[in-house]
Amino acid sequence: MPERDGASIPDGATPSAAVNGSSPVQAKPGRHREATLYHALAGAGAGDTLAGTGGRSLAELRAAALSAYEALDLPIWRRSGFWTTSLQNLDLDSLAAPAASDPCEVPAVVGRTLPDRARAGRIVQSAGAVVHLELDPELRERGVILCSLEDAFREHAELVEPWFSKRLTIDRNKLEAANAAFWTAGAFLHVPAGVVVEEPFEIVYAIDAPGVAQYGRTLVLGGATSEFRVHEYDLAEDFDGQALHAGAFELYLQDGARCRLSQVQDWGSGEVFDLSTRFVGVGRDAYCHWLPALLGGHLVRQHLELAVSEPGGDMAFRGLFFTEEDEHLDAFVVDLHETGPSGGDLHWRGAATGESRASLEGLIQIDPGAQQTHTYLQIHTMMLSPKARVDAIPSVLVSADDVSASHGGTVGELDETAIFYMQTRGLDRPAAVRVIVEGFFEPLIAELSDEPLEELVRAKVAEKLAAAREDIEAYATSR
Amino acid sequence: MADLEIRDLHVRTEEHEILRGVDLDISRGEIHALMGPNGSGKSTLANTLLGHPTYEISEGTITFKGEDITEAEPHERAKAGLFLAFQYPVSIPGVSVANFLRMAINAKRDEPIQVKEFRTQLQHAIELLDVDKAFTSRHLNDGFSGGEKKRAEILQMAMLAPDIAILDETDSGLDIDALRTVAEGVQRLHDEQGLGALIITHYQRILHYVKPQFVHILMDGRIVLEGGVELVERLEREGYDQIRQEFGATEAGALAAGDGSA
Repeated sequence: MPERDGASIPDGATPSAAVNGSSPVQAKPGRHREATLYHALAGAGAGDTLAGTGGRSLAELRAAALSAYEALDLPIWRRSGFWTTSLQNLDLDSLAAPAASDPCEVPAVVGRTLPDRARAGRIVQSAGAVVHLELDPELRERGVILCSLEDAFREHAELVEPWFSKRLTIDRNKLEAANAAFWTAGAFLHVPAGVVVEEPFEIVYAIDAPGVAQYGRTLVLGGATSEFRVHEYDLAEDFDGQALHAGAFELYLQDGARCRLSQVQDWGSGEVFDLSTRFVGVGRDAYCHWLPALLGGHLVRQHLELAVSEPGGDMAFRGLFFTEEDEHLDAFVVDLHETGPSGGDLHWRGAATGESRASLEGLIQIDPGAQQTHTYLQIHTMMLSPKARVDAIPSVLVSADDVSASHGGTVGELDETAIFYMQTRGLDRPAAVRVIVEGFFEPLIAELSDEPLEELVRAKVAEKLAAAREDIEAYATSR
Repeated sequence: MADLEIRDLHVRTEEHEILRGVDLDISRGEIHALMGPNGSGKSTLANTLLGHPTYEISEGTITFKGEDITEAEPHERAKAGLFLAFQYPVSIPGVSVANFLRMAINAKRDEPIQVKEFRTQLQHAIELLDVDKAFTSRHLNDGFSGGEKKRAEILQMAMLAPDIAILDETDSGLDIDALRTVAEGVQRLHDEQGLGALIITHYQRILHYVKPQFVHILMDGRIVLEGGVELVERLEREGYDQIRQEFGATEAGALAAGDGSA
């Protein structure tokens, strides 16, 4: 197991050599939005890759990432409009190397949170180790693989190597490099061609104590015409102190595959930093419905990219977020069309209470030649306290002429008329607010189209509203 | 003692005094019509009775079933048995009509309503108001036509079974079929449940379908004329101007207290 001090890792390539064609994306202070600097994730793994193709081996990738890690400072992103996302308060040196803190029990938060329901399989990583792994034996018979990514490299190298880090970079910032250099355990799911699975595969990353640096690494492969669901959970116990989740997630759907990918992220009340990149690649005539529910964390920065890479690919990219207290969320959402015809449909909704801040930057990018692409981005936000702030920044970059791409959205506060209306039906003010906010999120929650998951997200939204009750009351009287 | 007693009610917004001393008594089983020209204060009265925060009561009292509710929160008034059918019902996206009704019913009860009982009540109300069952699974007022919104108001009224309902220009913008459905709904709730109603309207049309026992005419923040259904007929013949003139001649002092908009 690699240590952060890198004793076992050969000192390899320089950071710039690891980039594989794309230039590092780093915003210049105070000038740019993410979108204007954007380069599609070009990958530092496959293609480049691994043994046998003249590319780099896993060890070489780790070594290159380590060099980048050592050369880079903790990142700060700034853009004009007084928005800064800084990781510089993260005390990285005080966090334990994964190996030192590997637990062997499933954290209680997992049992408390995950619905008790039928499932195809479940893998739970706590800190740096897999603490639970199960897979429906019948699915195993049919060739489905669910295991740690480390094991997958050992036992299914031929499957993993062509895809691993195919589109994920390893050196755009220090924590991405840390993930690529130090990741342990991880999750690998392979649903072979033609296999249709009704119940979800559950992939869980949990942090059960402060002082943990968790480097999560997930690779999901959907074979041609496979159909399946993935539910990812990112959870932490409520604790005092810092912890880090630096995640890298990639999912590739081959011809005609269909996947519903949902993610419930709630890092609890601890000082959890989450800096993750997630990439979903949609192949020929494939379809992905992706819905992250970002429900809290001290400081969360997510790069979420959904790319239609082959003709006929289609997707629905949904997302909701709800920040509270002094949380900070910075999400960069990319709808990338590399070829046409293709379809896209993005719909995000977010609310903020307390003094929390959330920024959602959404980018539609249609590459040259991606003709007959039709896509739409809508972002709706709602501020529930006078000190909360939500920014929604849509951008459209189009390099083809036979396409349609547009965006829209709303920025809202609580509608006092609607509150009065419900009060005249007997609901008190908190109940009326709850109806409004739940109604605001409901169109997306319903799209989870999975009752246990819907109930979980509804419950979490209700929990946050209950916690923010005083705040919301104060907002009403201040106006 | 009437169920709802309004005494010398003065109401202002930040800029204007809108109601200048309204007295009105309404009891269960009575149908009242409140008529008046635009800007006379009809909607202000409706909203004030339910406690809308924009309107400030500077003088007077509202008593409901013997309790002074002048300062009560809107939801407390609703729980006590008052209802307001809105002139412009608000859309509540993401919440189905049925779910909203269940929430509203439960807000008035200690124990949540049994699913079966709720269904029976809902079925009854649906038939009463001649709406499609699918209607109740749509999001409340979201994308509803004007007529659907008003039907939804009456559906809520039927389900919540208030003692006194205030219908704020429920007839505005309705075609004749929708108007008839809404009016018949009110009449049946009156006949079956003993509903008391204050029908606020600018026009006489709805009063062809619901027969009020008491008619009040509001002008410039005061009730200037009261009577029976014959007042509606008179209004139909003469219009507000005639009444205003007469009222101006006999009650000049009251008008002079106005802001001159008359």
